[in-house]
Amino acid sequence: MSGLFGTMSTALSALQAEQGALEATTNNVANANTPGFSRQRAIMVESDPVVQGSLSFGTGVSLQLQSLRDPILELRLNQETQQQGQLDAQVSAMQQIETMFSSDSGDLGSLMTSFFNSVDQLSTDPSSMPLRQGVLTAAGNMANGFRNTARNLQQQQSNIDLNVGQTVDQVNVLTKQIADLNGEISGMQNLSEDPSTFLDQRTNLIRQLSQLVDVAVVQSDNSIAVTTSAGTALVEGQQSFNLSTQLSNTGVQEVMAQGADITSKISAGKLGGLIQVRDQTIPSILGQLDTLAGGLSTALNAANRSGSDLTGTAGGALFTAPPASGTGAAADMTLLITDPSLLAASSDGTPGSNGNLAKFTAVSTQTIASGQTPTDYYANLVFQIGSDVSNGTAESDASNLILQQLQDQRASLSGVSLDEEAANLVRYQQSYSAAARVVSTLNDLLDTAVNLGKD
Amino acid sequence: MRVNPDPTPTILAALATTQQAEETALQQMATGRRVNKPSDDPAASAVLVENHDASSRDDQYLQSLAGVQAQMQNADQALNSVVTALQRAITLGVQGNNGTMSDANRASVVQELQGIQQQLMSTANLTFQGQFVFAGTATQTQPFVADSNSPSGVRYAGNGNTNQVAIGKGFNIQVNLPGSQLFTAPGNDMFQSINDLITSLQSGSSADAAIASVRKSFDYVTAQRVFYGNAMAQMDSQQNYLNNEKLGLSSQEDSIAGADMATVVSSLTTSMTARTATLSAIGQISQVDLFDYLR
Repeated sequence: MSGLFGTMSTALSALQAEQGALEATTNNVANANTPGFSRQRAIMVESDPVVQGSLSFGTGVSLQLQSLRDPILELRLNQETQQQGQLDAQVSAMQQIETMFSSDSGDLGSLMTSFFNSVDQLSTDPSSMPLRQGVLTAAGNMANGFRNTARNLQQQQSNIDLNVGQTVDQVNVLTKQIADLNGEISGMQNLSEDPSTFLDQRTNLIRQLSQLVDVAVVQSDNSIAVTTSAGTALVEGQQSFNLSTQLSNTGVQEVMAQGADITSKISAGKLGGLIQVRDQTIPSILGQLDTLAGGLSTALNAANRSGSDLTGTAGGALFTAPPASGTGAAADMTLLITDPSLLAASSDGTPGSNGNLAKFTAVSTQTIASGQTPTDYYANLVFQIGSDVSNGTAESDASNLILQQLQDQRASLSGVSLDEEAANLVRYQQSYSAAARVVSTLNDLLDTAVNLGKD
Repeated sequence: MRVNPDPTPTILAALATTQQAEETALQQMATGRRVNKPSDDPAASAVLVENHDASSRDDQYLQSLAGVQAQMQNADQALNSVVTALQRAITLGVQGNNGTMSDANRASVVQELQGIQQQLMSTANLTFQGQFVFAGTATQTQPFVADSNSPSGVRYAGNGNTNQVAIGKGFNIQVNLPGSQLFTAPGNDMFQSINDLITSLQSGSSADAAIASVRKSFDYVTAQRVFYGNAMAQMDSQQNYLNNEKLGLSSQEDSIAGADMATVVSSLTTSMTARTATLSAIGQISQVDLFDYLR
C-alpha cells in the first residue's frame, strides 16, 4: 500500500489520462473535415503495480494515443490516383481534340464532300464563271479546313507542352516538401515523439504527387524514399531531387532527371497522360491528316494538270505540293489559284468541255490515302479518335469508382465519426469527474489524517 | 466493421453521375440525336461520315440531274421543231414537184422552203444559257454558219465532242449530241437536202430525189431524238432511285444516330428523380449527431 499520497497520485494519473483522452477527442472533432487526417484513439494502459507482500496494488493509468492508418491501403490509393491522374489528363485533352471531328457542317468530311459536289455542279455547265468560282471556294475551304485542324492540333500540343513544364514544377515543390517532412519525422522519431501529424501531411503530399507522376514509395526505418516507378529517385530521406525540362530537337519539353531524359519512362499520373497525348496521340492524328491532305493534293494537282483551262492552256497545280516526307502536308495545304478560269475542266481545249472534271471527282473514289478513299480514311480517323475518348472515359469512370471505394475504406478506418467522439466525450468526462471526486475525497481523508489528535 | 462516418464524397460522386446522365439526356432531347460527338458512339460516327457524304453527294446528283434535264429538254424541243419543219418541207416539196403547179405558185413554195431553211439554221444554232447547244463542246462558237463555198450553203464550225455528267455514283450520262452528228452527218445532211430541194424546184426539174433525201433527213433526225428520249427516261428513273436512296440514308442516320425519344425521356425522368432524391438525402444527412443530445 502506498499510502494516501500514493493513492492521490493514482487519482491524479486518472485525471491526466482522461484529460489527455479528452484532448485527443477534441482534436479529432476539430479535424473531422481535414483531408487526410487519421483519427487518434486514446488507449488507457494500467500502470505498473506496487507489490506488498502478497498484495499487488495498481498505481493508476497512463495514456497512449494511436493513430489509425493503413499503409497498404494508402499504397493502393496512391496507385489508383496515378491511374486516375493519367486518364483525366488524357481524356480532357482528347475531348478538346474530339470536337474538331464532330460531324457537323464544318468538319473535314463535309468540306471534302462539298468540294466534290462543286466539281459535279461545274460539270453541268463547265464554262460558267460562278460555278468555277464555286469550285475554287470549296477547294479553298477544304484546304483551310485541313490547315486549321492541323494548326489547332499543333496549338493543343504546345498547350500540353506548357502544362508538362508546369507539372514538373509542381512535382519539384511536392518532393521538396516531402523531403522536409522526412526530416521532421525522423527527428521526432529519434526523440521517441509521435510524428502522427507530419505522417498525415506526408501521406497527403505523396497522394498529391501520385496525381502528377507515377511514384513508388519505399519505407526505410525512419523515413521514406520516393522514386518514379521506373526507378528515378525523387526523394531520399531529407534529400529531394528536382526534375527539370529541356527543349528537345522536335521542340517539345523533355523531362530530365539528373541529366537523363526520362520522358518516355513516365507512365502514369497527369504527367504521364500529358506526355502520351503530346508525343503519341496528337502526332498520330496529325500524321493521318497529313496522309489524307497529301494524297488529296497530289491527286487533285494531277487532275488539274491533265486538262486545260478556260483559255485552252494546260492546267497547273491546284494546291501546294505536299512535302516529300509528308509531314506538314495538312498544316501547309493552300489553294494556289485564285482565278476561276485557271480551273482545268476541259479535256479537249474548248471551254465547253467538262471531260477533265471527271478526273477530279474520280479522286473521291480513288484509294489515295493508305489504300483508302478520302471519305473512308477520314471516317476511320473519326472512329479512332472517338474510341480513344470513349475508352479513356470508360477507364476513367472505372478508376474513379475504385478510387472512391478505396477512399471509403480509408475513411471507415481513419475518418472521424462525430457520434463516436461525442460518446467518448461523455465517457472521458464522466471518468474525469469521478477521478476529481476521488481527489476531493482523498483530500478530506488527508485533512482528517493531518488533524488527527488535535482538539 | 466500422462504417465510413462521412458519406458526403460518395453522395457527391453519385450526384455528379446522375447530373451527367441528366445532361446527356437533355442534350439528346434537344438535338434529337444520340450521337453528338465521335466518342458517343465511335462506330456510328464513322458510319455517319460515310452516310453524310453519300447523302450530300446524292443531293448534288439530283441538282446536276435537274440542270441536265433542262438542257436536254431544251435540245429535244429544238429537234422537235426541226422534225416539224422537215415534215413541212416534204409536203411543200411534193406540192412543188407536181407538174400542174403554176410557176408563181412554185415560186411561193420555194420561198416558204427558203424560210424553212432559215428556221433550221437558227434552230441548229440554238443557245441555252448563252451557250450553243449543238456545237459539241465548242459551246462558245456559233456552230452553223452560212458559207457559199459549201455545197449545202452551211458550214459546221463546232466540234464532234460530247460532255458527260455524273448523275449517280459511277453513273455518267452523255448530255449532248454534236450538231455535226445531228444535222450534217454524211448522207443525212438536212441542210444539203433542203438546199437540193430548193435548187431542183427552182430549176423545174424533178425533185423526186431531193424529196427522198429530205425524207431521209427527217427519218434520221427523228431517230436521233431517241437519244434524248432515252436520256430523259434514264434521268427520271435515276431521280427516283436517288430520292429513294436518300430516304434510305436518312432512315439509316436516324437509326444509328437518332435518339429514341421514349428512352431519352425515361432516362431523363429517372436521372432527375435520382438527383432530387440524392439532393434531399444530402439535405437531411448528418443534420443530427450525438452532440445534439448532450447537455
